[in-house]
Amino acid sequence: MIDISLTVNGGRHELSVSPETTLLGLLRNQLGLTGAKLGCDVGDCGACTVIIDGRSVNACLMLAAQADGCSVLTIEGLATREQLHPIQQAFEVHASLQCGFCGPGIILSAKALLDGNPDPSRQDVREGLSGNLCRCTGYAKMIEAVLQAACVMRGETEDVDGKSKAGS
Amino acid sequence: MKKRGRGIACMWYPIGFTVAANPSAATVKINEDGTATLLTGTVETGQGALTVLGQIAAEALGIAADDVHVVSGDTDVTPMDTGAIASRTTYVTGNAVKLAAEKARAILFEVAAPMLGVRPEQLEARDRKIQVQSFPQRHLAIGDVALQAQSVKGQPAIGSASWNPPTVPMDPDTGQGKPFNTYVYATQIAEVDVDDETGEVDVLRIIAAHDCGTPINPMLVEGQVEGGISMGLGFALQEEILFDAEGRQINPNLTNYIMPTSMDMPEIEVVFVDNYDPTGPFGAKGVGEPTSVPTAAAILNAIHDAVGVRITSLPATAEKILAAIKSRGTDGLKNIKA
Repeated sequence: MIDISLTVNGGRHELSVSPETTLLGLLRNQLGLTGAKLGCDVGDCGACTVIIDGRSVNACLMLAAQADGCSVLTIEGLATREQLHPIQQAFEVHASLQCGFCGPGIILSAKALLDGNPDPSRQDVREGLSGNLCRCTGYAKMIEAVLQAACVMRGETEDVDGKSKAGS
Repeated sequence: MKKRGRGIACMWYPIGFTVAANPSAATVKINEDGTATLLTGTVETGQGALTVLGQIAAEALGIAADDVHVVSGDTDVTPMDTGAIASRTTYVTGNAVKLAAEKARAILFEVAAPMLGVRPEQLEARDRKIQVQSFPQRHLAIGDVALQAQSVKGQPAIGSASWNPPTVPMDPDTGQGKPFNTYVYATQIAEVDVDDETGEVDVLRIIAAHDCGTPINPMLVEGQVEGGISMGLGFALQEEILFDAEGRQINPNLTNYIMPTSMDMPEIEVVFVDNYDPTGPFGAKGVGEPTSVPTAAAILNAIHDAVGVRITSLPATAEKILAAIKSRGTDGLKNIKA
Protein backbone atom coordinates (compact mmCIF):
# COMPACT_ATOMS: atom_id res chain seq x y z
CA MET A 1 0.00 0.00 0.00
CA ILE A 2 1.11 3.55 -0.68
CA ASP A 3 0.34 6.47 1.59
CA ILE A 4 -0.74 9.58 -0.27
CA SER A 5 -2.18 12.93 0.61
CA LEU A 6 -4.21 14.98 -1.80
CA THR A 7 -6.81 17.73 -1.89
CA VAL A 8 -10.18 16.86 -3.41
CA ASN A 9 -12.69 19.66 -3.93
CA GLY A 10 -10.90 21.72 -1.30
CA GLY A 11 -10.81 18.99 1.35
CA ARG A 12 -7.56 17.37 2.48
CA HIS A 13 -7.35 13.55 2.43
CA GLU A 14 -4.65 11.26 3.86
CA LEU A 15 -5.16 7.84 2.27
CA SER A 16 -3.56 4.48 1.79
CA VAL A 17 -3.96 3.03 -1.72
CA SER A 18 -2.80 -0.08 -3.53
CA PRO A 19 -0.33 0.61 -6.36
CA GLU A 20 -2.80 -0.37 -9.09
CA THR A 21 -5.66 1.81 -7.85
CA THR A 22 -6.56 4.44 -10.42
CA LEU A 23 -7.48 7.95 -9.46
CA LEU A 24 -10.98 7.18 -10.73
CA GLY A 25 -11.17 4.12 -8.47
CA LEU A 26 -10.03 6.21 -5.52
CA LEU A 27 -12.57 8.94 -6.18
CA ARG A 28 -15.50 6.60 -6.78
CA ASN A 29 -14.83 3.71 -4.39
CA GLN A 30 -12.88 5.24 -1.51
CA LEU A 31 -14.23 8.78 -1.46
CA GLY A 32 -17.73 8.01 -2.76
CA LEU A 33 -17.49 10.71 -5.45
CA THR A 34 -19.40 8.99 -8.27
CA GLY A 35 -19.77 12.08 -10.48
CA ALA A 36 -16.75 11.08 -12.57
CA LYS A 37 -18.04 8.12 -14.59
CA LEU A 38 -16.41 4.84 -15.46
CA GLY A 39 -17.05 4.66 -19.20
CA CYS A 40 -14.46 2.90 -21.36
CA ASP A 41 -11.70 2.67 -18.68
CA VAL A 42 -9.02 3.18 -21.35
CA GLY A 43 -9.09 6.92 -21.95
CA ASP A 44 -11.26 7.02 -25.07
CA CYS A 45 -14.57 8.45 -23.83
CA GLY A 46 -13.67 11.18 -21.34
CA ALA A 47 -16.56 10.39 -18.98
CA CYS A 48 -14.06 10.23 -16.08
CA THR A 49 -12.56 13.68 -16.74
CA VAL A 50 -11.45 15.58 -13.62
CA ILE A 51 -9.24 18.63 -13.20
CA ILE A 52 -5.86 18.18 -11.50
CA ASP A 53 -3.86 21.29 -10.69
CA GLY A 54 -5.72 23.12 -13.45
CA ARG A 55 -5.37 20.44 -16.16
CA SER A 56 -8.14 18.15 -17.33
CA VAL A 57 -7.18 14.47 -17.16
CA ASN A 58 -8.80 11.11 -17.66
CA ALA A 59 -9.00 9.81 -14.10
CA CYS A 60 -9.13 6.23 -15.41
CA LEU A 61 -5.61 6.57 -16.87
CA MET A 62 -3.97 8.12 -13.80
CA LEU A 63 -2.86 6.08 -10.85
CA ALA A 64 -4.05 7.33 -7.49
CA ALA A 65 -0.46 7.39 -6.25
CA GLN A 66 0.42 9.82 -9.06
CA ALA A 67 -2.05 12.27 -7.58
CA ASP A 68 -0.06 12.48 -4.34
CA GLY A 69 0.29 16.13 -3.43
CA CYS A 70 -2.15 17.26 -6.12
CA SER A 71 -5.34 19.24 -5.98
CA VAL A 72 -8.28 17.49 -7.65
CA LEU A 73 -11.55 19.06 -8.75
CA THR A 74 -14.50 16.79 -9.56
CA ILE A 75 -17.99 17.75 -10.66
CA GLU A 76 -19.11 17.54 -7.03
CA GLY A 77 -16.84 20.47 -6.19
CA LEU A 78 -17.96 22.80 -8.96
CA ALA A 79 -21.22 24.19 -7.60
CA THR A 80 -21.67 25.78 -4.21
CA ARG A 81 -24.64 24.89 -2.06
CA GLU A 82 -26.25 28.16 -3.16
CA GLN A 83 -25.38 28.34 -6.83
CA LEU A 84 -24.45 26.27 -9.84
CA HIS A 85 -21.27 27.16 -11.70
CA PRO A 86 -21.99 29.33 -14.78
CA ILE A 87 -21.10 26.40 -17.05
CA GLN A 88 -23.62 24.18 -15.24
CA GLN A 89 -26.23 26.94 -15.43
CA ALA A 90 -25.63 27.38 -19.14
CA PHE A 91 -25.91 23.62 -19.71
CA GLU A 92 -29.25 23.65 -17.89
CA VAL A 93 -30.64 26.66 -19.77
CA HIS A 94 -29.57 25.29 -23.17
CA ALA A 95 -30.76 21.72 -22.42
CA SER A 96 -27.24 20.66 -23.37
CA LEU A 97 -27.36 17.19 -21.84
CA GLN A 98 -29.72 14.34 -22.63
CA CYS A 99 -28.89 11.07 -20.86
CA GLY A 100 -26.23 12.97 -18.93
CA PHE A 101 -23.62 10.25 -18.57
CA CYS A 102 -20.96 12.32 -20.33
CA GLY A 103 -22.02 15.50 -18.50
CA PRO A 104 -19.59 15.65 -15.55
CA GLY A 105 -16.62 15.04 -17.87
CA ILE A 106 -17.80 17.48 -20.54
CA ILE A 107 -18.44 20.23 -18.01
CA LEU A 108 -15.00 19.82 -16.44
CA SER A 109 -13.34 19.81 -19.88
CA ALA A 110 -15.20 23.04 -20.56
CA LYS A 111 -14.01 24.51 -17.26
CA ALA A 112 -10.39 23.60 -17.99
CA LEU A 113 -10.77 25.22 -21.41
CA LEU A 114 -12.31 28.44 -20.09
CA ASP A 115 -9.81 28.73 -17.22
CA GLY A 116 -7.02 28.73 -19.80
CA ASN A 117 -8.85 30.63 -22.54
CA PRO A 118 -11.62 32.93 -21.31
CA ASP A 119 -12.62 34.05 -24.81
CA PRO A 120 -12.61 30.93 -26.98
CA SER A 121 -13.78 30.75 -30.57
CA ARG A 122 -16.35 28.14 -31.57
CA GLN A 123 -13.49 26.07 -32.98
CA ASP A 124 -11.59 26.35 -29.68
CA VAL A 125 -14.66 24.98 -27.89
CA ARG A 126 -14.96 22.10 -30.35
CA GLU A 127 -11.32 21.25 -29.69
CA GLY A 128 -11.75 21.64 -25.94
CA LEU A 129 -14.59 19.12 -25.88
CA SER A 130 -13.08 16.74 -28.43
CA GLY A 131 -11.83 14.29 -25.80
CA ASN A 132 -15.32 13.68 -24.51
CA LEU A 133 -17.72 11.44 -26.41
CA CYS A 134 -21.47 12.08 -26.37
CA ARG A 135 -23.89 9.70 -28.06
CA CYS A 136 -27.08 11.72 -27.51
CA THR A 137 -26.74 15.38 -28.33
CA GLY A 138 -24.55 15.97 -31.35
CA TYR A 139 -22.66 18.43 -29.11
CA ALA A 140 -24.48 21.44 -30.63
CA LYS A 141 -26.17 22.68 -27.47
CA MET A 142 -23.04 22.00 -25.42
CA ILE A 143 -20.97 24.24 -27.66
CA GLU A 144 -23.62 26.98 -27.38
CA ALA A 145 -23.63 26.61 -23.60
CA VAL A 146 -19.84 26.84 -23.27
CA LEU A 147 -19.74 29.99 -25.41
CA GLN A 148 -22.55 31.45 -23.31
CA ALA A 149 -20.84 30.51 -20.03
CA ALA A 150 -17.61 32.11 -21.27
CA CYS A 151 -19.57 35.30 -21.82
CA VAL A 152 -20.95 35.17 -18.27
CA MET A 153 -17.56 34.36 -16.74
CA ARG A 154 -16.01 37.35 -18.52
CA GLY A 155 -18.67 39.48 -16.86
CA GLU A 156 -20.23 40.56 -20.15
CA THR A 157 -23.69 39.42 -19.17
CA GLU A 158 -25.31 38.99 -15.76
CA ASP A 159 -26.75 35.52 -16.09
CA VAL A 160 -27.40 32.75 -18.54
CA ASP A 161 -31.16 33.10 -18.84
CA GLY A 162 -32.63 33.47 -22.28
CA LYS A 163 -30.85 33.01 -25.56
CA SER A 164 -27.14 33.43 -25.87
CA LYS A 165 -25.85 36.92 -26.51
CA ALA A 166 -22.51 35.55 -27.62
CA GLY A 167 -23.59 32.53 -29.60
CA SER A 168 -26.12 31.72 -32.32
CA MET B 1 -7.93 19.49 -53.82
CA LYS B 2 -11.08 20.02 -51.83
CA LYS B 3 -14.33 19.85 -53.79
CA ARG B 4 -17.56 21.26 -52.38
CA GLY B 5 -20.82 19.38 -52.81
CA ARG B 6 -24.41 19.46 -51.63
CA GLY B 7 -26.85 16.61 -51.25
CA ILE B 8 -30.47 16.30 -50.30
CA ALA B 9 -32.46 13.42 -48.85
CA CYS B 10 -36.10 13.09 -47.86
CA MET B 11 -37.84 10.56 -45.69
CA TRP B 12 -41.12 9.55 -44.14
CA TYR B 13 -41.36 7.56 -40.97
CA PRO B 14 -44.22 5.90 -39.13
CA ILE B 15 -45.02 6.57 -35.46
CA GLY B 16 -45.74 3.56 -33.24
CA PHE B 17 -45.82 -0.16 -34.00
CA THR B 18 -46.75 -1.71 -37.35
CA VAL B 19 -50.39 -2.77 -36.74
CA ALA B 20 -49.47 -4.53 -33.45
CA ALA B 21 -51.01 -3.16 -30.26
CA ASN B 22 -48.78 -0.62 -28.52
CA PRO B 23 -50.94 1.04 -25.90
CA SER B 24 -50.03 3.59 -23.28
CA ALA B 25 -51.97 4.28 -20.11
CA ALA B 26 -51.80 7.23 -17.74
CA THR B 27 -53.36 8.49 -14.53
CA VAL B 28 -53.69 12.16 -13.64
CA LYS B 29 -54.86 13.39 -10.25
CA ILE B 30 -55.51 17.02 -9.47
CA ASN B 31 -54.44 17.96 -5.97
CA GLU B 32 -56.17 20.37 -3.57
CA ASP B 33 -53.19 22.76 -3.77
CA GLY B 34 -53.78 23.20 -7.50
CA THR B 35 -50.92 20.96 -8.58
CA ALA B 36 -51.35 17.68 -10.43
CA THR B 37 -49.65 14.31 -10.30
CA LEU B 38 -49.11 12.29 -13.47
CA LEU B 39 -48.42 8.57 -13.35
CA THR B 40 -46.90 7.07 -16.48
CA GLY B 41 -45.16 3.79 -17.18
CA THR B 42 -42.80 5.26 -19.75
CA VAL B 43 -39.22 6.21 -18.93
CA GLU B 44 -37.01 9.21 -19.39
CA THR B 45 -33.85 8.39 -21.35
CA GLY B 46 -32.72 11.97 -21.75
CA GLN B 47 -34.95 12.81 -24.69
CA GLY B 48 -37.17 14.95 -22.47
CA ALA B 49 -40.24 12.69 -22.57
CA LEU B 50 -41.33 13.42 -19.02
CA THR B 51 -41.02 17.15 -19.58
CA VAL B 52 -43.21 16.88 -22.67
CA LEU B 53 -45.77 14.64 -20.94
CA GLY B 54 -45.91 17.05 -17.99
CA GLN B 55 -46.45 19.91 -20.43
CA ILE B 56 -49.31 18.03 -22.09
CA ALA B 57 -51.00 17.39 -18.73
CA ALA B 58 -50.47 21.02 -17.74
CA GLU B 59 -51.95 22.29 -21.00
CA ALA B 60 -55.06 20.15 -20.57
CA LEU B 61 -55.52 21.34 -16.97
CA GLY B 62 -54.68 25.00 -17.50
CA ILE B 63 -51.81 24.92 -15.03
CA ALA B 64 -48.03 25.41 -15.38
CA ALA B 65 -45.68 22.59 -16.34
CA ASP B 66 -43.91 23.15 -13.00
CA ASP B 67 -47.21 22.33 -11.25
CA VAL B 68 -47.18 18.78 -12.61
CA HIS B 69 -45.31 16.14 -10.65
CA VAL B 70 -44.48 13.23 -12.95
CA VAL B 71 -44.06 9.76 -11.48
CA SER B 72 -42.64 7.38 -14.07
CA GLY B 73 -41.23 4.01 -14.83
CA ASP B 74 -41.92 2.16 -11.58
CA THR B 75 -44.10 -0.75 -12.67
CA ASP B 76 -45.23 -1.27 -9.06
CA VAL B 77 -47.22 1.95 -9.13
CA THR B 78 -47.51 3.30 -12.66
CA PRO B 79 -49.93 2.34 -15.44
CA MET B 80 -48.71 0.21 -18.31
CA ASP B 81 -46.77 1.77 -21.20
CA THR B 82 -45.32 0.01 -24.24
CA GLY B 83 -42.12 1.99 -23.83
CA ALA B 84 -39.78 4.67 -25.13
CA ILE B 85 -39.49 3.07 -28.57
CA ALA B 86 -40.87 3.49 -32.10
CA SER B 87 -40.75 7.29 -31.74
CA ARG B 88 -44.12 6.90 -30.03
CA THR B 89 -43.93 8.55 -26.59
CA THR B 90 -45.11 12.07 -27.38
CA TYR B 91 -47.80 10.75 -29.71
CA VAL B 92 -49.15 7.63 -27.98
CA THR B 93 -48.33 8.26 -24.32
CA GLY B 94 -49.10 11.93 -24.88
CA ASN B 95 -52.59 11.06 -26.07
CA ALA B 96 -53.15 8.85 -23.00
CA VAL B 97 -51.97 11.65 -20.72
CA LYS B 98 -54.21 14.18 -22.43
CA LEU B 99 -57.25 11.88 -22.14
CA ALA B 100 -56.52 11.14 -18.48
CA ALA B 101 -56.13 14.85 -17.70
CA GLU B 102 -59.38 15.63 -19.52
CA LYS B 103 -61.22 13.02 -17.44
CA ALA B 104 -59.91 14.55 -14.22
CA ARG B 105 -60.77 18.00 -15.54
CA ALA B 106 -64.35 16.87 -16.35
CA ILE B 107 -64.85 16.12 -12.66
CA LEU B 108 -63.72 19.65 -11.79
CA PHE B 109 -66.14 21.07 -14.39
CA GLU B 110 -69.04 19.06 -12.89
CA VAL B 111 -68.22 20.35 -9.43
CA ALA B 112 -67.53 23.94 -10.44
CA ALA B 113 -70.57 24.37 -12.70
CA PRO B 114 -73.18 24.82 -9.95
CA MET B 115 -70.77 26.96 -7.95
CA LEU B 116 -70.46 29.34 -10.92
CA GLY B 117 -74.09 29.00 -12.01
CA VAL B 118 -73.35 27.62 -15.50
CA ARG B 119 -73.31 24.26 -17.29
CA PRO B 120 -70.08 22.19 -17.22
CA GLU B 121 -69.62 22.58 -20.97
CA GLN B 122 -69.42 26.36 -20.55
CA LEU B 123 -66.26 26.05 -18.44
CA GLU B 124 -62.59 26.05 -19.31
CA ALA B 125 -59.37 25.42 -17.36
CA ARG B 126 -56.86 28.26 -17.72
CA ASP B 127 -54.31 30.17 -15.67
CA ARG B 128 -54.74 27.76 -12.70
CA LYS B 129 -58.46 28.52 -12.66
CA ILE B 130 -61.73 26.94 -13.65
CA GLN B 131 -63.51 29.77 -15.38
CA VAL B 132 -66.53 30.53 -17.54
CA GLN B 133 -65.60 30.69 -21.23
CA SER B 134 -65.49 34.31 -22.39
CA PHE B 135 -66.16 35.46 -18.80
CA PRO B 136 -62.81 34.83 -17.09
CA GLN B 137 -63.74 37.09 -14.19
CA ARG B 138 -66.16 34.35 -13.11
CA HIS B 139 -63.68 31.80 -11.89
CA LEU B 140 -62.58 29.51 -9.08
CA ALA B 141 -59.02 28.50 -8.21
CA ILE B 142 -58.37 25.00 -9.54
CA GLY B 143 -57.15 23.81 -6.13
CA ASP B 144 -60.33 25.03 -4.43
CA VAL B 145 -62.43 23.09 -6.94
CA ALA B 146 -60.28 19.98 -6.41
CA LEU B 147 -60.79 20.31 -2.64
CA GLN B 148 -64.54 20.79 -3.10
CA ALA B 149 -64.65 17.74 -5.38
CA GLN B 150 -63.05 15.41 -2.89
CA SER B 151 -64.19 16.83 0.48
CA VAL B 152 -67.73 17.93 -0.31
CA LYS B 153 -68.82 16.01 -3.40
CA GLY B 154 -66.89 12.87 -2.50
CA GLN B 155 -65.50 12.60 -6.02
CA PRO B 156 -61.73 13.18 -6.17
CA ALA B 157 -60.52 14.66 -9.46
CA ILE B 158 -58.67 11.66 -10.82
CA GLY B 159 -58.65 10.47 -14.40
CA SER B 160 -57.18 7.34 -15.92
CA ALA B 161 -57.06 6.59 -19.64
CA SER B 162 -55.29 4.52 -22.21
CA TRP B 163 -54.70 4.98 -25.92
CA ASN B 164 -53.65 2.62 -28.67
CA PRO B 165 -53.12 3.94 -32.20
CA PRO B 166 -55.94 2.62 -34.42
CA THR B 167 -54.62 0.57 -37.32
CA VAL B 168 -55.97 -1.81 -39.96
CA PRO B 169 -53.98 -5.00 -40.71
CA MET B 170 -52.55 -5.17 -44.20
CA ASP B 171 -54.28 -7.53 -46.60
CA PRO B 172 -51.72 -10.20 -47.58
CA ASP B 173 -53.08 -10.31 -51.14
CA THR B 174 -53.45 -6.63 -51.93
CA GLY B 175 -51.05 -5.04 -49.41
CA GLN B 176 -53.82 -2.62 -48.54
CA GLY B 177 -54.39 -1.53 -44.96
CA LYS B 178 -53.45 1.12 -42.46
CA PRO B 179 -50.32 -0.06 -40.66
CA PHE B 180 -49.83 3.19 -38.74
CA ASN B 181 -52.07 5.99 -37.53
CA THR B 182 -49.68 8.79 -38.43
CA TYR B 183 -46.39 9.53 -40.19
CA VAL B 184 -43.72 12.20 -39.98
CA TYR B 185 -41.67 13.70 -42.79
CA ALA B 186 -38.27 15.32 -43.11
CA THR B 187 -35.72 16.67 -45.55
CA GLN B 188 -32.08 17.16 -44.77
CA ILE B 189 -29.48 18.93 -46.90
CA ALA B 190 -25.77 18.31 -46.36
CA GLU B 191 -22.89 20.46 -47.51
CA VAL B 192 -19.53 18.72 -47.62
CA ASP B 193 -15.95 19.18 -48.71
CA VAL B 194 -14.32 16.10 -50.21
CA ASP B 195 -10.55 15.99 -50.69
CA ASP B 196 -10.15 14.24 -54.05
CA GLU B 197 -6.53 13.33 -53.25
CA THR B 198 -7.28 11.59 -49.94
CA GLY B 199 -11.01 10.82 -50.06
CA GLU B 200 -11.49 12.60 -46.76
CA VAL B 201 -14.91 14.18 -46.11
CA ASP B 202 -15.66 17.23 -43.99
CA VAL B 203 -19.36 17.73 -43.33
CA LEU B 204 -19.68 21.49 -43.09
CA ARG B 205 -23.37 22.12 -42.64
CA ILE B 206 -26.65 20.25 -42.35
CA ILE B 207 -30.03 21.86 -42.71
CA ALA B 208 -32.70 19.62 -41.23
CA ALA B 209 -36.38 20.38 -41.87
CA HIS B 210 -38.66 18.14 -39.82
CA ASP B 211 -42.40 17.79 -39.60
CA CYS B 212 -43.32 16.48 -36.16
CA GLY B 213 -46.76 18.06 -36.07
CA THR B 214 -46.90 20.86 -33.51
CA PRO B 215 -43.70 20.71 -31.43
CA ILE B 216 -44.68 20.57 -27.75
CA ASN B 217 -41.18 21.65 -26.69
CA PRO B 218 -39.18 23.08 -29.60
CA MET B 219 -35.87 23.13 -27.72
CA LEU B 220 -36.13 19.42 -26.98
CA VAL B 221 -37.04 18.72 -30.61
CA GLU B 222 -33.88 20.57 -31.66
CA GLY B 223 -31.89 18.39 -29.27
CA GLN B 224 -33.39 15.27 -30.79
CA VAL B 225 -32.61 16.44 -34.33
CA GLU B 226 -29.02 17.45 -33.51
CA GLY B 227 -28.39 14.14 -31.76
CA GLY B 228 -29.95 12.17 -34.61
CA ILE B 229 -27.74 13.97 -37.11
CA SER B 230 -24.62 13.00 -35.13
CA MET B 231 -25.76 9.38 -35.26
CA GLY B 232 -26.52 9.67 -38.98
CA LEU B 233 -23.14 11.27 -39.63
CA GLY B 234 -21.36 8.45 -37.81
CA PHE B 235 -23.44 5.95 -39.80
CA ALA B 236 -22.48 7.72 -43.03
CA LEU B 237 -18.76 8.13 -42.53
CA GLN B 238 -17.32 6.40 -39.48
CA GLU B 239 -19.18 3.73 -37.60
CA GLU B 240 -18.76 0.08 -38.47
CA ILE B 241 -18.66 -3.10 -36.42
CA LEU B 242 -15.86 -5.24 -37.84
CA PHE B 243 -15.74 -9.04 -37.47
CA ASP B 244 -12.98 -11.57 -37.98
CA ALA B 245 -13.48 -14.87 -39.84
CA GLU B 246 -14.79 -16.54 -36.68
CA GLY B 247 -17.41 -13.86 -36.20
CA ARG B 248 -15.67 -12.15 -33.29
CA GLN B 249 -15.91 -8.39 -33.22
CA ILE B 250 -12.45 -6.96 -33.72
CA ASN B 251 -13.28 -3.41 -32.67
CA PRO B 252 -15.29 -3.80 -29.46
CA ASN B 253 -13.99 -0.53 -28.04
CA LEU B 254 -14.10 3.19 -28.66
CA THR B 255 -10.48 3.24 -29.84
CA ASN B 256 -11.36 1.40 -33.05
CA TYR B 257 -15.12 1.87 -33.27
CA ILE B 258 -15.06 5.47 -34.40
CA MET B 259 -17.98 7.75 -33.60
CA PRO B 260 -18.37 11.50 -34.06
CA THR B 261 -16.68 13.89 -31.66
CA SER B 262 -17.33 17.61 -31.35
CA MET B 263 -14.70 18.10 -34.07
CA ASP B 264 -16.70 16.05 -36.59
CA MET B 265 -20.00 17.82 -36.19
CA PRO B 266 -21.17 20.30 -38.79
CA GLU B 267 -23.12 23.45 -38.18
CA ILE B 268 -26.73 22.32 -37.86
CA GLU B 269 -29.79 24.36 -38.67
CA VAL B 270 -33.08 22.87 -37.54
CA VAL B 271 -36.24 23.95 -39.34
CA PHE B 272 -39.68 23.02 -38.00
CA VAL B 273 -42.30 22.34 -40.62
CA ASP B 274 -44.94 23.42 -38.17
CA ASN B 275 -48.37 21.89 -38.62
CA TYR B 276 -51.16 20.26 -36.65
CA ASP B 277 -52.01 16.56 -36.56
CA PRO B 278 -55.58 16.24 -35.30
CA THR B 279 -54.88 12.71 -34.02
CA GLY B 280 -51.97 13.79 -31.79
CA PRO B 281 -51.93 15.53 -28.40
CA PHE B 282 -52.27 19.26 -29.17
CA GLY B 283 -51.27 18.47 -32.74
CA ALA B 284 -47.98 16.72 -31.95
CA LYS B 285 -46.54 13.60 -33.60
CA GLY B 286 -43.02 12.26 -32.95
CA VAL B 287 -39.40 13.00 -33.83
CA GLY B 288 -36.93 10.56 -32.24
CA GLU B 289 -35.73 7.98 -34.77
CA PRO B 290 -36.64 9.95 -37.92
CA THR B 291 -33.91 12.49 -37.15
CA SER B 292 -31.13 10.13 -38.23
CA VAL B 293 -32.93 8.58 -41.22
CA PRO B 294 -32.06 11.04 -44.04
CA THR B 295 -28.61 12.13 -42.81
CA ALA B 296 -26.43 9.45 -44.39
CA ALA B 297 -28.27 9.67 -47.72
CA ALA B 298 -27.88 13.46 -47.80
CA ILE B 299 -24.15 13.20 -47.03
CA LEU B 300 -23.57 10.52 -49.68
CA ASN B 301 -25.49 12.53 -52.25
CA ALA B 302 -23.29 15.51 -51.35
CA ILE B 303 -20.17 13.38 -51.86
CA HIS B 304 -21.51 12.46 -55.30
CA ASP B 305 -22.16 16.11 -56.04
CA ALA B 306 -18.61 16.99 -54.97
CA VAL B 307 -16.52 14.31 -56.67
CA GLY B 308 -18.93 12.36 -58.87
CA VAL B 309 -18.75 8.98 -57.16
CA ARG B 310 -21.60 6.89 -55.78
CA ILE B 311 -20.69 5.09 -52.55
CA THR B 312 -23.18 2.29 -51.95
CA SER B 313 -21.88 0.74 -48.74
CA LEU B 314 -21.57 2.41 -45.38
CA PRO B 315 -19.55 3.85 -43.87
CA ALA B 316 -18.21 5.92 -46.76
CA THR B 317 -14.63 5.91 -45.51
CA ALA B 318 -11.87 7.95 -47.10
CA GLU B 319 -10.41 4.69 -48.48
CA LYS B 320 -13.65 3.76 -50.26
CA ILE B 321 -14.13 7.23 -51.67
CA LEU B 322 -10.54 7.48 -52.88
CA ALA B 323 -10.76 4.03 -54.54
CA ALA B 324 -13.99 5.08 -56.26
CA ILE B 325 -12.42 8.33 -57.46
CA LYS B 326 -9.41 6.45 -58.87
CA SER B 327 -11.50 3.80 -60.65
CA ARG B 328 -13.82 6.45 -62.02
CA GLY B 329 -11.09 8.18 -63.97
CA THR B 330 -12.20 11.51 -65.33
CA ASP B 331 -15.44 10.37 -67.05
CA GLY B 332 -17.86 10.95 -64.21
CA LEU B 333 -16.59 14.37 -63.19
CA LYS B 334 -19.44 16.65 -62.48
CA ASN B 335 -19.97 19.39 -64.94
CA ILE B 336 -23.45 20.49 -63.92
CA LYS B 337 -23.73 22.94 -61.07
CA ALA B 338 -26.23 22.01 -58.36
